[in-house]
Amino acid sequence: MRRSLAFECFRYVAILVALVITLVPILWMVSMAFKPFSEWQATGDALTWIPRDPTLDNFRFLFGQSGSDLIVALDRTAGKPILASLLSASIGTLIAMSAGTAAAYGLSRYGSGANLPLALIQLRLFPPMAVMIPVMIMWAFLGLMDTWWGLALIYGIVTLPFAFWLMKTFFDDMPKEIEEAALVEGCSRWRVLTRVTLPMMAAPLAAASLFVFILNWSDYLVALLLTTRDWVTIPVYMASLSSSMTGQLYGAKAALGLIAAVPPVVLGLMIQRHLVRGLTFGALKQ
Amino acid sequence: MTTDADRPAATRAPADEGARLGFRLTLPAQVLVLFISAFPLLMQLYISLTDWSPLTGSPWPRAWEYWNGFANYLDLVSDGRLWRSIWRTLLVVAVAVPIEFLLGLGLAMLFVDDFPGKRVAYSILIAPMMVVPAVAGYMFFMLFQSGGPVNGLLSLFTAEPVALAWLSNPSTALVAVIVADIWQWTPLMFLILLAGLVGVPQDQLRAAALLGASPAQRLVTIVIPRMKTIMLIALALRVIECIKIFDTLFIMTGGGPGDATQTLSVYIYDITTQDLIWGYVAAIALAILVVLSAGAVWAMRRMAR
Repeated sequence: MRRSLAFECFRYVAILVALVITLVPILWMVSMAFKPFSEWQATGDALTWIPRDPTLDNFRFLFGQSGSDLIVALDRTAGKPILASLLSASIGTLIAMSAGTAAAYGLSRYGSGANLPLALIQLRLFPPMAVMIPVMIMWAFLGLMDTWWGLALIYGIVTLPFAFWLMKTFFDDMPKEIEEAALVEGCSRWRVLTRVTLPMMAAPLAAASLFVFILNWSDYLVALLLTTRDWVTIPVYMASLSSSMTGQLYGAKAALGLIAAVPPVVLGLMIQRHLVRGLTFGALKQ
Repeated sequence: MTTDADRPAATRAPADEGARLGFRLTLPAQVLVLFISAFPLLMQLYISLTDWSPLTGSPWPRAWEYWNGFANYLDLVSDGRLWRSIWRTLLVVAVAVPIEFLLGLGLAMLFVDDFPGKRVAYSILIAPMMVVPAVAGYMFFMLFQSGGPVNGLLSLFTAEPVALAWLSNPSTALVAVIVADIWQWTPLMFLILLAGLVGVPQDQLRAAALLGASPAQRLVTIVIPRMKTIMLIALALRVIECIKIFDTLFIMTGGGPGDATQTLSVYIYDITTQDLIWGYVAAIALAILVVLSAGAVWAMRRMAR
């Protein structure tokens, strides 16, 4: 459709404004992550948008190396929290995807578990805060408090609705003829699933896994309640990064924020095509 | 379901085999759902009828020693902090979600047809929703410091430098929190609404334009009716998530100053971890579950119509 010149101008200006608003908070954090200690608190006229003296000291500091002009030392480095986030998010993804994919296939092909779609939506509806008391009691009883496997288990359950719904719509979209042909050829139903269906679904499985991983990686509230010291995740560790001597450790926190923000943004852009489907529980496809 | 018996045995056997496999495949998910819903709900109901807290020293099964009937439920009706936190949460939802919706819709309409740089602009615009919410909270925590860039930018337009302490001022803290929510979640609206807009048949729009319909008329008569379901889905998703608002907000203000940004989730967090009155928390949590379930059933009925 031919548009007027005025519309084209308006469009570019509006998009440009949106891009700037989108990028400024991100770029401020990136900039802060590379600022030396002396520039963290610069205010007013001295406000620096681009570090005058860019440095990697903030990252070094996070991993316990001194050499920065920061006098304080961390009693715990960022290594363990990063490991905790990685372990809990990936094993949680594995749990959600295994249970979710199996159930989605069972429902899509054999009509089993007809209660699951609604039950899982309900699970997603409730604020996690409203079930945390029993979860904390159960986790304490099962010895899962402050462990990465305890977090992985709850992550697996929390993101199960997404894994299930995403895989269900992928299975529903997949033509049944190939599986039927394999059945007629004498393949057992189990072999059809493992040798025919799943290999064909490799790409959707990967996309759904990345989507679920992003969700698990993004958690803060659950880890805040279920971890205390040994296995705190990145966001919990980040919130605790401040010292009585320097107050907020702006630069170090920004550096850690950058480390936390990069994986989901990169993975998210990789699975752009599936984001709408994932976020709307498969109600909408792109 | 009686047809199984009527069928000849030969065809029934494979169907049974399929049903068995289906059952086994759905079993893990069923167990996980049961594990996280049935037992915790019963436990929650039990504890909510008592005055039990982890400080009492007794394990939770012996909470009956602190039995107090429905006192917790009566308390919550007259709990001023609870109601204020509920209104505050609803205020955040009522302000943030419509703004996100309108901005997202506006942006999506600009992205319907192709233009140079569309893919790059699209990728950048959807990035905020993939940023870890706690990290987004920290970004806005930095931006809204009194010597931070928000005041720095505002100072460009004013005679005197602005040094507003956004996050420690009760009247502006909630504004800052809402701004952060809008920044992070407008992209979600944009993404979903754009997917819907692309599905609106372009030839209809073109025909309407040829017949002299203004852009506004085309929007009201063609686009909105076709997009109704998608708009409802987008709004429902955001309302559900926004009611739970915690991560960004908690990192930015911790619910403060005072209780100026104490939303429902933050209030429950506070009484769970500081006051430790778990019997009472359980009562509030159950009440919320009941209200939200009723709300969801009502909404689904309306949507089905």
